[in-house]
Amino acid sequence: MYIDHHPILENHGNDQISFFYDGTPLKARQGQTIAAALMMNNIRKFGISRKLRQSRGLFCASGRCCSCFVTVNGLEHVLSCTTLIEEGMEIKPNTGDPDVRGGIHEN
Amino acid sequence: MKTDVLIIGGGPAGLNAAIETASRGIKTIIIEESYALGGQLKQQTQFFNNLPKQFDRQRGIHLMRTLIDRLSPLPITCLLKHKMIGVYKDGRIGIANDTETFPIDAKKVIVTTGAAEETDLFPGWTLPGVMTVGAAQILINRERVLPGKNALIVGLNSFSAEVAKQLKACGINILGVMDKTVSVNDKKLVEGLEDKKIRVMVNTVIERATGAGEVKKVTINNDGKKEDLDIDLICIGKGLAPILEPLEILDCEFGFQAKLGGLVPKYYSTLGTSNPSVYVAGNAAGITCLGGILLTAEIAALNALKALGVLNDNEVKVRSSFLWDELRSMESEESIETFIARVAHIKEFHEECELPLPASFHAILEGC
Ligand code: FES
Repeated sequence: MYIDHHPILENHGNDQISFFYDGTPLKARQGQTIAAALMMNNIRKFGISRKLRQSRGLFCASGRCCSCFVTVNGLEHVLSCTTLIEEGMEIKPNTGDPDVRGGIHEN
Repeated sequence: MKTDVLIIGGGPAGLNAAIETASRGIKTIIIEESYALGGQLKQQTQFFNNLPKQFDRQRGIHLMRTLIDRLSPLPITCLLKHKMIGVYKDGRIGIANDTETFPIDAKKVIVTTGAAEETDLFPGWTLPGVMTVGAAQILINRERVLPGKNALIVGLNSFSAEVAKQLKACGINILGVMDKTVSVNDKKLVEGLEDKKIRVMVNTVIERATGAGEVKKVTINNDGKKEDLDIDLICIGKGLAPILEPLEILDCEFGFQAKLGGLVPKYYSTLGTSNPSVYVAGNAAGITCLGGILLTAEIAALNALKALGVLNDNEVKVRSSFLWDELRSMESEESIETFIARVAHIKEFHEECELPLPASFHAILEGC
């Protein structure tokens, strides 16, 4: 949920933008990270860990823990907490073994 | 790229160090891995009362603006979304962004990488909905997103208490702030929470957190009594540890100082490390308060300027002893142990290197 009226800070007034999550069109605010854009839409599980096959989502929000990987416009393994959302971005959860340079070269 | 001073990290320490060097006309580059400068100040809405004299009492986010405004007219290169990834054989620093890797040839490097939050391990701690208190604060203040509706805070300290209040002010129901210790020495901290109708639970641990795909329930053990709570957010506030990787890559030696956050680079009273071209400041030089972060940055920058021949000995001596004095009063006000540990850390390294402490430093030692 977006905080329209913050108890201390002034209203951001940032523009709404659209992006896709697993094919579904969703809205975010300009200046948000991908992780925040997803959480604003109540998506908290961003993927499944490779080895233990457990759910993963945002943990540190600072690019340190690597728990928040998603696929962005075909590029896998992008840290969603330190990457800003952009208009039209196609985000997919990381559910399998990542192809780190996926989408550019054929296997 | 060539520079006189390379600053690694664009948080409060990095910014303050850059103001010092760039205002002397010294070529300065800051690299910052985030998309913006400011570090943790970006989401700190709390007031900081205890800041160096040149700053007024202000909120973290406003201090960030103050620092960036002071920096922006100065000739300085800021490389955002850039990380230090290594050192070349010839000593140049390897920098990378999303698309390229390149070397920076720097005469002096000031490492201001800050700190990372520690976690707490309990079954279920990796479930989505479990996050650090810092992450929750980023969500509400920087991202304007509610991280959950019903929250439990693990670990009672001034930062977690502050964030608990901020979360509550945003409308999140705080079920409690818990700590495994049997009592909390800091009465003011507890009263501050109880004033805001936030429950404080001592001698309490999490037995497990559960939920399909994200956290939904938690079982806590409160003084031997088990309790199940419906929650969708667990915030872990177990303190900070310095971020050291760049210092490791730069071949700096480390020592252990529990009160400074554990493993800390060894440094002199100049904030210079065992690598003669590397200085360290801010939380990377030991966890401290915001005042301490700003002051250590100034001390490191001044000494780097002296080593570059920009400032003379005497000038630096006078300013340094003034800054050390201010650092002592600032850190003592928050926690005297931090300052004592810092002095012990420095003394140890000077002794190890058989390098006498400067006379001005003796005066400081006598004062504590
Ligand atoms: S949440 Fe830790 S790296 Fe993104």
